[in-house]
Amino acid sequence: MLNFVAMDEARKQAPKTDRGQAVLEIRGVSKQYGATCALDGARLRLYPGRVHAVLGENGAGKSTLVKIVVGAIQPDAGTMLLAGKPATFRSVQQAVSAGIVPIYQHLSLFPHLSVRENLSAFALGGTRNSRAAKAIVSKETARAWLDSVGLTIDPDTELGRLSIGERQLVEIARGLGQSCKILVLDEPTAALSHAEADRLFAVVRQLCAAGTAVLFISHKLEETEAIADDLTVLRNGRTVIDAERTERVNRDTLVHAMLGETVNVGVRDLPELGEIIFRARGIRIHRRAAACDIAVRAGEIVGVAGLVGSGALEIGAALAGARETAIGTLAVGDRIFPTGNRERAISLGVGYVPSDRHVEGLFPVLTALQNASASVVPTFSRRGLIRRASEHGRLVPWLERLKLQPLRPHLQASGFSGGNQQKLVVSRNLALANLRVLVVLEPTRGVDIGAREVIHDAIVAAARQGVAVILASSDLDELLALSHRILVVRHGEIEGEMSPSSGRETLIAALAGRGAP
Amino acid sequence: MTMAAAGSPSIRFAYRPPASAAIAFVAFVFFAILVPRFPTLGNLENVIRVASILCIAACGQAVVLILGGIEFSFGSSVALASVVTVLTLPDTGTLGAFAVGAGVVVLVGAVNGTLIARFELPSFLVTLGTLMIGAGLASTIAGGLPIDAPASDAFSWLARGRIAGIPVPIALAVLSVAVLYFLLAHTRLGRFWYLAGANVNAARLAGINVRFVVFAGYVVAGAFCAVTALILTSRVASGQPNLAPNLPFETIAACAIGGIPLAGGQGRASQVVYGVLIIAMMNNAVVLLNFPVAYQRLMIAAVIIGSVLLQKLAGKGWQTGARSGGSS
Repeated sequence: MLNFVAMDEARKQAPKTDRGQAVLEIRGVSKQYGATCALDGARLRLYPGRVHAVLGENGAGKSTLVKIVVGAIQPDAGTMLLAGKPATFRSVQQAVSAGIVPIYQHLSLFPHLSVRENLSAFALGGTRNSRAAKAIVSKETARAWLDSVGLTIDPDTELGRLSIGERQLVEIARGLGQSCKILVLDEPTAALSHAEADRLFAVVRQLCAAGTAVLFISHKLEETEAIADDLTVLRNGRTVIDAERTERVNRDTLVHAMLGETVNVGVRDLPELGEIIFRARGIRIHRRAAACDIAVRAGEIVGVAGLVGSGALEIGAALAGARETAIGTLAVGDRIFPTGNRERAISLGVGYVPSDRHVEGLFPVLTALQNASASVVPTFSRRGLIRRASEHGRLVPWLERLKLQPLRPHLQASGFSGGNQQKLVVSRNLALANLRVLVVLEPTRGVDIGAREVIHDAIVAAARQGVAVILASSDLDELLALSHRILVVRHGEIEGEMSPSSGRETLIAALAGRGAP
Repeated sequence: MTMAAAGSPSIRFAYRPPASAAIAFVAFVFFAILVPRFPTLGNLENVIRVASILCIAACGQAVVLILGGIEFSFGSSVALASVVTVLTLPDTGTLGAFAVGAGVVVLVGAVNGTLIARFELPSFLVTLGTLMIGAGLASTIAGGLPIDAPASDAFSWLARGRIAGIPVPIALAVLSVAVLYFLLAHTRLGRFWYLAGANVNAARLAGINVRFVVFAGYVVAGAFCAVTALILTSRVASGQPNLAPNLPFETIAACAIGGIPLAGGQGRASQVVYGVLIIAMMNNAVVLLNFPVAYQRLMIAAVIIGSVLLQKLAGKGWQTGARSGGSS
């Protein structure tokens, strides 16, 4: 277990003086990717000698913000003050020379080179070939740098022989060699064991004591609360909690801030329940997680709730047969099928709306109609031949029902808005002649309000037809409004079950890991 | 029939020629005016005859490009087929030898398809590998030298014969384009090729047997290429271990000039035709103008890059999708 208590103590003992002038301040920063607004006037203030955590769900804009801080991308608007003075970075190199050192989620080290050569990488990057030999740091310097992160290894060891945790420390040591004012740690513990994470945090504390500001990005709430002095929470590209001291933010406020007060979801009459038609037995999404068993009745909508990284979406994908699991089976009625075989799942009537529309759902260069018909091609073809009139006749009514806008089936899908693209992916499943189970993941993420209503209606209507629905979402209101019951997922396991009637606060508490729901 | 009243958009039946059609037309007019002997009936037949051999293999390349792959092994499977055909000729007769030769090319396609679909290897590397293997096999079997086929009218009919007055290669090219059009526009397999090429993950999750679809694509590509292989073998009347080494590049060039993006998911049979015609007219004009052969390559290179650039700028067909990761 992480040594949270000790770290908490250490923080509480730190003098609660004024935080002083921000070493880095970012104001009103915006960044647009195509039609998507990744950051919309976000704000960030880092103080010297303090660990600053940035939290937010997927798509909140964390990565974009970090990339702007380290100079990897340039914002469309906004100002950046470095120790009070305006600064702009056109490259990572500029940011590094200004004292902002990034440590990436995916290590940027060279496993076949020695530790010492790795430590010299920044210096090498700035020299010409002929001087490369001089840019290698001396053994003594290397040792001193490694000392500062608590590593007692021979600098000439090949890097590939170190553990992941040790490599991360080497990467930090390399950063410290650069007169580092701000250390940026992006998901540093994702691949670390608890002991390694402890060691990392000890080093981070040590650096802070020396006055370095640390920007810390993590999905793990517990460790964030334990290590961070200040918190910034992003939601939809905006800063919703701005550089607040950690002790002033409790867990519920935090989760609430991350998930947000979404637009009210219209209350709907949920259908009556029928027989159990879908069963999952012994599904485990990773080795350490407990197996989960799920049974869903005809007409039932089962919500699956979980914060990002909790495994809720992975469980959803496994239930749809879209993700292979080491063990466990699925069954529609008495027909058993394995996880990880969509072809078989579809033949048994299991529809699936994946969480990431762009990577797993959309065929951007094909037409809206071809997108909508992708799962049901056999229904409008005979002896291997496509019957276009039949395709048109079967699918266009669905597009009309889902209010596709513009209702032009022969337009390229990439030309539609996110919400309308999502309607195409949804209609692909609703059109299944033998639809009995529908697994929908994040059906309304990045979708406008109108499309959201339409998709919600479609989900309830499908359930009313006797389809068993599994709905995994990070949108709490969606879950509370549409589900008969909600399964709470943490750490890759189903931790409990609650009724939507027990309310939003109970669900937030359950997601935050306080009290059995 | 009132299509509009039936709620069926009439646009579905309107043929919109690809941007490369305009390029082909301009090239034709340009050469017809500037090159003296270009617009004669005899020369045009010659242009089309040369184009047709390339066109058939390019139909196969188009299938692979729509799948989001690329096919290099054409370059040696044609040579391997010619060597094998000529060697089996004495034992099996003309038809049998052609069947064996064609089988070899289809087999190479099946090997590519298996490695790419079953083991999810990149098509670039797999077909590069089979290109080299094919070349090695062809020259080993032939002993490094061309093997002459015994002269026979039956054997040379594929390249030099005529059906109803139309040269056989041209007739076969027309047939190939028709087959490609039919496969792409009217069959379930063709639809699956587009889906798998446009987004292989989404296709898999939509319940499509992506492995079979991709495998079948490479086999069909091999079948198209086999026809080209037999025509070439018939034309040279010998087993040539170095028959058409540039075929993969010419077919890719033809498809690219025609406007088929290498990103996959898009492409039409007509685009293959226009791409092939542009290349053939170009080659022919260079020869008629007595330019050195080396110029041909420079011109083709200029046309490839120029037409691709033109179509990119025109924004037609070349939606490479300015992908932007709008993630957290």
